[in-house]
Order: sequence, then structure tokens, then C-alpha cells
Amino acid sequence: MARGAGKTPDAKAIAAAAADTWPRVTARLAPVIGARGVEVLFRRALHLTSTAFPWLQLAADHEGGVATLESVTTRLAGQEASSAALASCALLVTFTELLVTLIGESLTERLLGPVWAPPLTAPQQETGA
Amino acid sequence: MSGKVAIRRLATGVPGLDAILGGGLPEFSFNLIVGPPGSGKTTLAHQIMFTLATKQRPALFFTVLGEPPLKMFRYQQQFDFFDLAKINESIRFVNLSEEVTEGNFDHVLARIMREVEAASPGLVFVDSFRSIMLEAPRQDQGAIGLQQFTQQLGMFLSSWDATTFLVGEYSADGQPHPVFTVADGLLSLDQNVHRNSMVRQMQIMKMRGQATRPGMQTFRISNAGIEVFPAALVRDDTGATEAAASRSRRTRVRLSMGVPLLDEMLGGGLPMGYSMLVAGPSGSGKTILATAFLAEGVRVGEPGVIVAFEQTPSQSRIATLDDMVRAGQVGLINTRSLDLSIDEIVQRLIDLIHRMKATRVVIDSLSGFELAVAPSFREDFRESLFRMVAVLSGLGVTVLMTSELEDRYDDLRFSPYGSAFLTDAIIVERYIEIESRLKRVLAVVKVRGSAHSNELRQFQITDDGIVIGAPVRDYQGLLSGRPTQTPTSHRID
Repeated sequence: MARGAGKTPDAKAIAAAAADTWPRVTARLAPVIGARGVEVLFRRALHLTSTAFPWLQLAADHEGGVATLESVTTRLAGQEASSAALASCALLVTFTELLVTLIGESLTERLLGPVWAPPLTAPQQETGA
Repeated sequence: MSGKVAIRRLATGVPGLDAILGGGLPEFSFNLIVGPPGSGKTTLAHQIMFTLATKQRPALFFTVLGEPPLKMFRYQQQFDFFDLAKINESIRFVNLSEEVTEGNFDHVLARIMREVEAASPGLVFVDSFRSIMLEAPRQDQGAIGLQQFTQQLGMFLSSWDATTFLVGEYSADGQPHPVFTVADGLLSLDQNVHRNSMVRQMQIMKMRGQATRPGMQTFRISNAGIEVFPAALVRDDTGATEAAASRSRRTRVRLSMGVPLLDEMLGGGLPMGYSMLVAGPSGSGKTILATAFLAEGVRVGEPGVIVAFEQTPSQSRIATLDDMVRAGQVGLINTRSLDLSIDEIVQRLIDLIHRMKATRVVIDSLSGFELAVAPSFREDFRESLFRMVAVLSGLGVTVLMTSELEDRYDDLRFSPYGSAFLTDAIIVERYIEIESRLKRVLAVVKVRGSAHSNELRQFQITDDGIVIGAPVRDYQGLLSGRPTQTPTSHRID
């Protein structure tokens, strides 16, 4: 994600990187644990992260689905670059930690590993799996 | 060349399962794994999948609503067979919950077919079938119905050159589902709770083209996964091992019991391959006699195995059993769990006999054995005992079983199970009262096909073991517990 955002990222670039990363995470996980499973995890991660970054807090009646990610990227783009970077990173870390808590480090690494691979090879791995 | 198709049988990697399937899982078969929640269906499916999946024979595992996949991964990875390295290499999981919640079976079927066609897997699993069925009422008008769906899925899976499994909570007892007809194999899992014990059982209700073991087979789930304990098969006389046993009967090699004078009473020792019952009340010295039998075996280079249900060897009065077990000269199966199946014990016993190359086996005692066996098996205890004795004699080992005898002096009994007829030889131990002292006597009641002593002899238990004394003469009514001195004795004295 940091790579995607460039060397001195501004908030917009960070939001764009998040918008690029999360669909790839979903693409890896959804076939295995279901799109709903991914969304539940994402919302839980969001909830946990928003204690440190209250501006990430979703409205209780948020409709969910693709709108959740859109809402998050919009909020990221509206923040100071440093704050956006921290929040975006924290969200990803929290999400991964949640997954690790549930299914263990090895399996998480197995499922998500290709997401962290350099962007050029990532799509190939996905289709080849 | 016959030109007939040869069916390859895949080794499932589930201990005991291949045996009850009749030699393994036929390749390209379409199988159903059914049973109530918690009966081990997903575990069985995973264990088979992780064993069989390779790069050349990749597996697709479709998860449908049922159990949330995250939970499935969380718990299933605890098993030893769960090989993380195979995930996304030779094993791919595909979640179908989106298609199923849409409520359109056409889409579910189309997705399964698409994935199967794209991946060309050698193994396909759909878990679970029941969750698909539960979604049935939400069907759109005009879409295919549930019956058609399962039927079509069954047809599709069975025509694909892959070994396929549908996992479901469908009960095999009720009205048979049409898909049961399409399936080549039907594995039904169950768990029986009886009072405080729980017993898992598996039944192969159908497996085309091969002779499966009939009846319910018990299995256990541990960290290693599922282990099936096939019901011991009693072989016919044509069996090679049986032939060996009967040969040893003919030649009448006799084993020493390790108690001076007892061999003489038995007519020269216990014939090899015989099963002996030692019956007596509590404390009469049955375990000590059994220990002497094993110790004698160790002395002459015949390893032994003991299945102890009562006292642990370290509690034994004579330290020799404990020493022999520690020294690895005698194999020990010591159990006090109360949910065993006889088949599980027999399986463990046979494994140990093979490992130790044992020729002497002690079961101490049948009463403890009956208690250790899960209540649901107690009804069949005699039958299972018969099978066990037959299997052990088929192995050619010499068996000594002890049996607790109630102190009853109004009748002469040897075993509460009527199991006396199962054994080839019987020794009975009793207490008698002489001159206000409780004394022990023993007698050889039966040695099949052999002359033996008919004397009642006193014996003592000393630090050196059993010491058999002189025959008890001059008394009558010993077995009633209240002997009277015969008048003749005065004359002799």
C-alpha cells in the first residue's frame, strides 16, 4: 500500500492505495470465506481502528457492501496525509490481526501472502492459484 | 486382456476406513457423507481431502452456508492432517454462500460447474448439502427445484472424472433422498449417547463394486483426526493364521504357567493357542496368577501383552509386572475410560501383539472390561467377547482372561457372562473356611482335549507368588464354603 502511494504520499494517494489494496484482499479471501465473511471482518476491523481514529467510525445504519470501502477512502482522502497514512495502516494491521486470531498466522499468510507481493506479479498469482 | 475397466482404490488416509470400505475408496466414485451435526462429517471430508490431494490430483472444496468458513478453518487446522502448505496449491476452497443466499439453484449449480470445469480437479467436495436444502423454500418460481438440483448436481459430479463427495446432515434413516440412488457410496456417521458415554459410529451403507464391512463401526476423533476401529472379523477355518493355530493345537506345544505344580495339574501346561479363564472372587490371586504366566513367558523368551482394566501394575502386590512393563518385556494397555468399544480395544491389542511379537496375552479382567466398555455395547458384550477370543486364537496367541466371581456358595459358577464355554481351559479359585481361617483353593475345571487334575488344592500367596500346596483331602463340601471333615481322615491320622 505504501508502495502504491508513492514516496511522499498525500492523503489522496493514500486513499487511492487503500482503494487498490482492499479489493485485492477481498479477491483473495472472498472465495474462501465468502464475501460476507470478509465484510464482517472488515467492519469489525474498522470498528476497532476507529477508537484511535474516531473519524473512521461508520454510522450505525451504514448500508455495507462496496459502500463501506468507498466511505473509508473518502474519509482517508479528507484527512491530513500523516493521519490518513497511520489510520490506513492501522486498519490493515487490525484486519490481518483479526484474521490471525481466528485462523492462525500460517493460514493467513497462505491466503493473503500474494496480496503483499509486488503489484506486477500479484494478478498472475491470483489467476494461477 | 479382459478389457474390463479396472477400478483404482484410493487409500483414504483414515486409519481403518479403507478396511471397512472394502479396500479403499473407488476412484471417480460419487459419495455422500451424511450424519447429524457434530458427527464428524467435515473432519472426515477434510482428512480424506488432505490425504489425497496432490498437484496432479487437486481438490476443490465448496463451502455452502452451514458452518462459517472462518470457523471451519479455525477448528480444522487443529488436526494433524491439516497441511497448510496444500492450501491454494493442491487444495482450493470455494465459498458458495452468495449464490445460495440468492436462492437460485441454477446459479449454485452453474457456479459449481464453472469452477469444476475451470480447475479440472481430481477431488470435489460440497459441504454441506443440507444447507442447500434449507434454502429450498426461498426458491424463485420457475427455477429448478431442490430435488432436481441435487439430482443434477449428483449426475454432474458422477459423470465428471473426479472422486466426489456431498457432505450433508441428511439422515439416512428417513425417506431416502433420490440422490442416494445416484451415489456410488454412502457413508453414514452417527454419535450415540448412552447415559454418560458417547460413542461415534460409522456405517458404510453402500459402496458400489466392493464388499464393505457390514454394521456399525466405531471411530474416535483425536488430534490426529478420525480413526476407525473395524469390528474384528472372525476368520473361517481356511484362513492361514487359523491353520497355523490349529497346527499348534495338534502338536500340543504346552506353555508353562510359571507356577510350580500348576502345569502338572493342567496335564503338562497350557496348550499353545488356548484361551484360559481364571475365575475367582476378589483377592483370590487371579492377577498374580496372570502375572506369573507373563513372567514365565518373559523368562523363556515369549513376549506378552496385558490389558489391565483394574489395578495399574504399580499397585500390584508383586512388582514383577510393573518391572516387566517398564523393561519393555510386556506390553500394557491400561485404560479406565468408560466409553470404549470392544473393537477399539481389540484393534489396539492386535497392534500391540504385532509390535511386541507377543504370544501370551492377559486380559485382567473381563469384569473391568465390561465396565470400561460404553453402555451401548454392553448388550452385545458376550458376542463381542466371542469375536475377540476368536480373533486372538486366529492370531495363534495364548490368552489368559480373569473373571471376577461372586462369592456364592450355593452354586458353582465360573463366569457371570456364561463366557466359560468360550474358553478352552478354566481354573477356578475359591475361598474356603477351615478351622476359622479363610484359605484359598484352586482347581482345574477344564482343559479342552487334554487330561488334567481334578484335585482341589490349597494355595498360598507369598512374596514369591503363588505356592500350590497339597490337595485338600479329608474334607467334603469345600465348594459350599463350609467344609466338613470326612470321617475317613481320622482313620488315616
